[in-house]
Amino acid sequence: MKDWIGLVARLVTGGVWIVAGALKVLHPDESVRAVRAYDLLPETIVPAVGQLLPVLEVVIGLCLVLGILTRGAGGVSALLFVAFIIGIASAWARGLSIDCGCFGGGGYIPDAAEKYPAEIARDVGLLALSLWLVIRPMSRLALDTVLFTRTPDHDPTDDDEDEGSLDGAEEDLAQNR
Amino acid sequence: MAQKKTSHRTADEKAATQAKREARRARTDRAKVAAEERRKAEKRKQQLTRVGVVAGVLVLLVGGYFFVSSLGSDKADTPPAGASGDYGLVLGEPDAPRSVVIYEDFLCPFCGQLEQTVGEQLDAAVEAGEIKVEYRPLGFLARISDYSPQSANAFAVVLDSSGPEVAKEFHDLLYADQPSEEGPFPDDDDLVALAVEAGAEEADVRPGIEDMAFEGWVDGANDAASKADVNSTPSVFVDGELVEDQSVDEIAAAIVGTSG
Repeated sequence: MKDWIGLVARLVTGGVWIVAGALKVLHPDESVRAVRAYDLLPETIVPAVGQLLPVLEVVIGLCLVLGILTRGAGGVSALLFVAFIIGIASAWARGLSIDCGCFGGGGYIPDAAEKYPAEIARDVGLLALSLWLVIRPMSRLALDTVLFTRTPDHDPTDDDEDEGSLDGAEEDLAQNR
Repeated sequence: MAQKKTSHRTADEKAATQAKREARRARTDRAKVAAEERRKAEKRKQQLTRVGVVAGVLVLLVGGYFFVSSLGSDKADTPPAGASGDYGLVLGEPDAPRSVVIYEDFLCPFCGQLEQTVGEQLDAAVEAGEIKVEYRPLGFLARISDYSPQSANAFAVVLDSSGPEVAKEFHDLLYADQPSEEGPFPDDDDLVALAVEAGAEEADVRPGIEDMAFEGWVDGANDAASKADVNSTPSVFVDGELVEDQSVDEIAAAIVGTSG
């Protein structure tokens, strides 16, 4: 059951990342301007952050949807959501009226203050899902399961024999104790 | 005797049991070692897989980053002849009492409304020497359509080849013919036709419009505006002060100085 929750968390969070990143990845200039509009980061790193973020979002999204390195991807995802929540909350607190630039766009919009609460709520929800994946990364239909489960790589008959003697060994150990 | 025998047999049995037990223990130990080795081998394999996957993801990130950074124009930021050093076109007397700067995007509907509302009044005031105006066209709405940077580039091409007066006429025609944000958007031929209508020679403007000759300059204009905290269009500055009003009418009134 819990593994199914993990699957849902992966698909929802990963899907949002992929959509958000894909909408921005081909317009890096706009992404840079959206980052700059927050007025939080020093100008020297603004262009790099603006260009890297959409790529990072797409890659993290792909990792989550496919279930690769789920715990790590969930951790990065959680960190990003924390950063975005701080960014949006700080823009709100400073009275900035900007589009969050979450799905492209960015910069001044007149009714931003009305949108901030929903944006923060959405990011808090996605943060919770990301944290779930950090705490419990095992989930259904994940490539991690294929890549990292213990797979016996020797002959099955040989395997049976070994298992048998191993069981016997354990019995003996029990007797000796 | 019987007792001895029994005890003797018991001793034998004991020895046999002991030997059996030892043999079993040896087997157990061997099995344990084998299992341990298997576990270690598996762990090594998993670690290798993990390193490989992490490396793959990093390669994807770095590759994607370089791809995205290469998306911008590699054209030099060369200003068109007649442009100001601030990516604009200045019109009017240099010592006019009122100075207005308009950041605009030929695709932005609000800019079109502003132009319709105050354009003629502004032109008259500029003509009369009351206002010095600087139009700074941007290509902010590239996500909506390439028409945004294309029209800004076309403006620069017309300015470069045909001078400020034709460029201003082209500017007004772009707004008169403004497409909606849903499209359909004018193509290069439409822009050339509009430039010719404004008074430019087709042969002068077609190559520049088709090749995005001033793409670097338009990118530079976007960047400069963004760094000046201008992140939407229209943004209007009167005597250096941003007009914070929201409605077109309020901005229009602030431009020509009738807002009180």
